[in-house]
Amino acid sequence: MILISFDIDGTLTVGDPPGILPMDMVRAVKEQGCLVGSCSDRPISAQRAIWASHDIEVDFTVSKHMLPDVKAEFEADVYYHIGDREDLDRRPALEAGFEFLWPHEAADMPWVEGPDA
Amino acid sequence: MTENAPASMYRTDEGMGLWEHRGKVAAVGVGHSPTARRWDGRAETCVGAISLIALRRAIEDAGVDPAEIDGLVMDPVTTTGAYWPKGKPVPEEVTSAFNCTDNPLDGIAGLSAEWILKNMPELTGIDFTMYGPGCMSNAICVAAQAVGDGLANTCLVLKSWHNYEGRYYQGGANAGSDLPGTAALHALWGTPACYGTALQFAEYCRKYGKNHDMMAPFIENSRQNGLKFPEGYWASHRPEEITPEDYKAARWIAKPANLFDNDLPIMVSAAYLYTTAERARDMRQKPVYILNHAASNTRPRSLTPTLDEVEADTARTARKIYEGAGITAADLSFENMYDGFAQFHQFHIEGLGYRGMKFGEALDFYQTDISIHGPNPILPSGGNIGCGRSRFWMHTDCIQQIQQRAGERQVTGVKPEVAVSGGPMPLGGRFTVWSATPD
Amino acid sequence: MPKQGVVPDDLTRPFWEAANEHRLVIQSCVACKHLQHPPAPVCRVCGSDTVEWKEMSGRGTIYNYGVVHDCPIRLLQEDQPFNVAVVMLAEDPGIQMYSHLPGTPVDEVPVGAEVEVTFEATANGQMVPEWRVVGSSEGGEQA
Repeated sequence: MILISFDIDGTLTVGDPPGILPMDMVRAVKEQGCLVGSCSDRPISAQRAIWASHDIEVDFTVSKHMLPDVKAEFEADVYYHIGDREDLDRRPALEAGFEFLWPHEAADMPWVEGPDA
Repeated sequence: MTENAPASMYRTDEGMGLWEHRGKVAAVGVGHSPTARRWDGRAETCVGAISLIALRRAIEDAGVDPAEIDGLVMDPVTTTGAYWPKGKPVPEEVTSAFNCTDNPLDGIAGLSAEWILKNMPELTGIDFTMYGPGCMSNAICVAAQAVGDGLANTCLVLKSWHNYEGRYYQGGANAGSDLPGTAALHALWGTPACYGTALQFAEYCRKYGKNHDMMAPFIENSRQNGLKFPEGYWASHRPEEITPEDYKAARWIAKPANLFDNDLPIMVSAAYLYTTAERARDMRQKPVYILNHAASNTRPRSLTPTLDEVEADTARTARKIYEGAGITAADLSFENMYDGFAQFHQFHIEGLGYRGMKFGEALDFYQTDISIHGPNPILPSGGNIGCGRSRFWMHTDCIQQIQQRAGERQVTGVKPEVAVSGGPMPLGGRFTVWSATPD
Repeated sequence: MPKQGVVPDDLTRPFWEAANEHRLVIQSCVACKHLQHPPAPVCRVCGSDTVEWKEMSGRGTIYNYGVVHDCPIRLLQEDQPFNVAVVMLAEDPGIQMYSHLPGTPVDEVPVGAEVEVTFEATANGQMVPEWRVVGSSEGGEQA
């Protein structure tokens, strides 16, 4: 099982500022059977509203500092977080035991090849 | 050459009695620019351009001939904390779109009265300009005093903000390896901007037995009110509520201040038109009379204000506000005191004794009906938390509430007759008392 | 925690030079004896421009604290979250100094506890006063 956490602002095209990853990509990841959700500074209720408005059923919506809670709640073989900030995404992701991808690295969905690809 | 207002224009002392121009100055026009999170680099969205929008909207709102306007009071500093990078070329397509001053960054990273006048040819009658630096709270005090003193008869007041790419306060010296000795006394320990307020809030909670979760209804209410402010950032870009659950789940910035206790830096401009009560009678909008303006120049004894210092000064400020306006706390229909950081607000309203409140009681008050539809509205503008950082939503809201044209935000549980707004900090704020009638 | 370097300026040079000698000095007005920190060119109480630097005992108490989770200074971000306490000097509780309280666990700051000054080196070797809880076994270099 692969779990993928998306930052929103600066990462997804619906973000503020817009990132490069389209919602269709998130939908495709979900269809691949991955556990999917968002980890963002947006209010959690706003994160849920974004996913609902795109008709994507996510597994979690959490605040930016809650990646350890995600890891504790969901069992997966590998955990990814995708985001655009060194201090708010990359560093806390690595500290929480997640693999980290910048949006441009995630665009090709490297997890399809597995974490060591 | 436009000068900063002299200290004598601010009413800083206790015991000054009724303001000599009480009820003789009125706000008659409001203009807001659109908001943006950051500048996109286009000429039509630079801080100068959005200022022109706000000014022209205020003039139109008041229904006054621009040629009749003889005064301009503004803040020349427009930064939210973002500075033009050293050595970065000034975009020619921006400067060529305007009539420039000797400062190539005028209209981009700051704003002079000269720039405004060069780019508003319709303002042919201006013979008084003055700076009220700091924020709109300062500028409107200066404008009120100037009109009252007869330095201007019909006076525009302007405050604008610019914001650029990059995280707040993370460039410049904060990214460097060394600090100058004086700055180091504060800055070496890496405290974010909200730290000082968080400290005061921490002491407040210990002293009065309160906790951070008790702020949740205030934050929820502020955002709900802000989403009813169509000119606000959140209403126009990201209409997101902050539920109590959202608030409690947010990450800390400097515990006990979290992400949603902090406001969002944005680009925005607002302008008001002030004139004499006599002249105001003929203008399009119902005049909103200024009963008083007051100021605090108090500085903390050492590095950061203590709770004792904050409480002493907010009480002192309230005495100045009420004395000059000739009112008491019981006369306030509603309040619009500053909130960016959210944890300023309880200090301001406790100092005011709003609705009989004493020190240590505001957070309990937040657990009651504080909505615009109840008898005790708290911050009907939504403030910075509800609308983004401008430090002027609260003033606009006081004017529009009293004019009965606040739209969806209109208070319904009280008759909007007398209100107070101002800030920013409990130590060092500027405040205005607004009224539906001149006496 | 690695702090940014300090380049003393005219106003604060005596403070930083004393720190390099492991001494804590605070500006004092010769005329009215008022202590002030941060320093200023003149006394903030009486306006006298005759100010001197007085050595302090290096004792104080913790007045208050916050926990920084989102630090604007790049050099300190690796250490987030961390305590920043406000210490009141024994000689005058109105005089405050900041401290990371080396040796005190994050968010376990004993408000009201006694502290004593230590000195630690910043990135450029300039020493800076820090504070540790009296009785705490860890901490920076002792004065």
